[in-house]
Amino acid sequence: MVFFRRSHAIASGVVIASGLVSLFTSAALLLGDGHAIGAINARWFWIGDTPIEFGVLLDGRTMMMGAVVALITLCIEVYSLSYMKHDPGRGRFFAFLAFFEMSMLAFVFSSNLLQSFIFWELVGLASFLLIGFWYEKPSAVAAAKKAFIMTRIGDVGLFIGLILLFTATGTLDIPSINALFAPDGAPGSIATGRIELIAALLFIGVIGKSAQFPLHTWLPDAMEGPTPVSALLHSATMVAAGVFLVTRFHDLFMDAPQTMQWMLWIAVGTAILASTMAIVAKDMKRVLAFSSISQLGYMLMALAAGSLFAGYFHLVTHAFFKALLFLCAGAYIHHFGTNDMVAMGRAGAGRRMKLVTVGMIVGGSALAGIPPLSGFVSKEHIIGSLPAGARVGALLAAFMTAYYAFRMIFLITRPNPDSQAVEEEAAHAQHEDGHVHHGPAEPWSMLAPIAVLTVGAIGAGLLGDWMGHKLGMEHIHHPTVADMAPAVVVALLGGALAWFDFGRRRSAQVGSVAHLPAVQRLFVRRWYIDEIYDATIVRFSLWIARLCFGAETRGLDVGADAVARGTRESGEMVAQSHTGRLQLYIGSAIVVVAALALTLGLRSGGGGGG
Amino acid sequence: MTLETWLLFALAVFCLGVYCVLGRRNLIVILIGIELMLNAASVNFMAVNHFLSPHPEVGQIIVLFVIGLAAAEAAIALSIILAVYRQRKSIDVADLHELKG
Repeated sequence: MVFFRRSHAIASGVVIASGLVSLFTSAALLLGDGHAIGAINARWFWIGDTPIEFGVLLDGRTMMMGAVVALITLCIEVYSLSYMKHDPGRGRFFAFLAFFEMSMLAFVFSSNLLQSFIFWELVGLASFLLIGFWYEKPSAVAAAKKAFIMTRIGDVGLFIGLILLFTATGTLDIPSINALFAPDGAPGSIATGRIELIAALLFIGVIGKSAQFPLHTWLPDAMEGPTPVSALLHSATMVAAGVFLVTRFHDLFMDAPQTMQWMLWIAVGTAILASTMAIVAKDMKRVLAFSSISQLGYMLMALAAGSLFAGYFHLVTHAFFKALLFLCAGAYIHHFGTNDMVAMGRAGAGRRMKLVTVGMIVGGSALAGIPPLSGFVSKEHIIGSLPAGARVGALLAAFMTAYYAFRMIFLITRPNPDSQAVEEEAAHAQHEDGHVHHGPAEPWSMLAPIAVLTVGAIGAGLLGDWMGHKLGMEHIHHPTVADMAPAVVVALLGGALAWFDFGRRRSAQVGSVAHLPAVQRLFVRRWYIDEIYDATIVRFSLWIARLCFGAETRGLDVGADAVARGTRESGEMVAQSHTGRLQLYIGSAIVVVAALALTLGLRSGGGGGG
Repeated sequence: MTLETWLLFALAVFCLGVYCVLGRRNLIVILIGIELMLNAASVNFMAVNHFLSPHPEVGQIIVLFVIGLAAAEAAIALSIILAVYRQRKSIDVADLHELKG
């Protein structure tokens, strides 16, 4: 970025080349050794007697996550070549993408909790820079600020947890911490309450970064950024960092059952909550954003129920199909100049952009959990690992997931003349900056990543056993057909309802929820959570900010100004003695000399005489 | 003539000189005042020398020095006054105010 801001071609070339390098190295690592290489560390600084190190941790979990991040980032980088082709800032965009990739990979491969925290924050910074990429748009700037501040709130919890963990265990080195917690039962040296607290605080960081209730409101707004950003950060990688953190410290969390219980209910609740918001959204990116929140809930559900494999597996499959969906959405948005699904469908998205539509159908079906796609396999594992009460919640969310996934597909592919759906923003081939879209609707640099991700979305499900082996788990519980049945039934029911509402030849395309206007309003307004936050926390913070501002301008500034004014005025007063009148000067000299002479003379005369 | 008479005489001349320096605006008159002060001080010195000193010749030599120095100083002062006049076309001390401020 420092050198090539103006020459966009070089910038994009450098970034894509580095993306390729990252991909090859991580793939080589992944496919090479059969077991963990372990950590490569270097001494950084000391706290008292304890050294804090800086290093690289290479085991199954990190290598797999690294490979996924590298692959998806490379796909996004290639895609951005044509998506950002007309953008004057695209050199900067590629630089930020590379910065993000660096931070994310460094986070994944960190061997030390302090180091991972540093890169966790850097990932948040990359997110801020990318969401606010179009910085002249006030809504984008506001969304970037909101994202950064909300994740920062979570980070406070994470940092406190980190400190407590250090005081409890005396180390921040990740393998050492895991070794401490790995044996069955909590380590005797640490009080159980303390472990619960640490786990809870770490999870607060996860809530912020992975957009769970109550810190989820930033993610829908983050869609203000360019679509490649949404595809990369806010579906596949950055928000998955929180999930990755939980998998990293799985042993610690397993020793904190109370916290896990609490995590489970937050995750299930979030999954359901976000799905309700998705079923009424008109903006394609918003649907996918809510969907991401919901699917992250699924991952955390599995982890909270104790199944490391299910959570991790869903992380990988979700990365593929969600990034795929976002890239397809981006292709439509780039061509039609609008995010509105209804408008896109009416403008002929399904007919004109067939390959992209195929990708979207595959992605949407994977999201809904249709066998034998990857989303289905991972979702089965998750549902299979949950206790009964949570299972009901998960199935409800799965029903709604299938509904909104197929709703999206049908709105794009099957517009019909009886539709009563309202377009909120019309499609037009002319973009905001006035250029008319020439060129193919499906350029190769968009299709290639979509194709790659489609393969991944289909095939990742088959890699389950290999993945489990890589993660170091020899025995994976495979769900039986009876276990699988409820989820499949629920998914098909959701799809059927979506067909009834949106796919039929003469459907009104308005949705079943529209029959209950109050409920519809609740979902559309996102359960009024944003309004509640605005009325309470935001108002309070602004009040404190105004207080401080007033104290500063009326208090401190006035004081400083008074000191300056006093100095100046006293100087001016003294300067008045410089009259420039010669005779005054001589007169004062005479007076002083006379006075001196008198006093000295009297003293010596009196002393000598007396 | 007693010592006191001479001392009073010198004091009177000195005060006249001080008045000329501080109370008049013409640079030449200020120069006259300086000369008056110097000569009054010399008279004072000689008076004490004549009446009270065991070696009168020492006092006389010192006064000769003072007269010589006064002459030199008057020459320099006059040349400064000439330079000031050339530049400002005035020898009124109220017009010399560069030191103000």
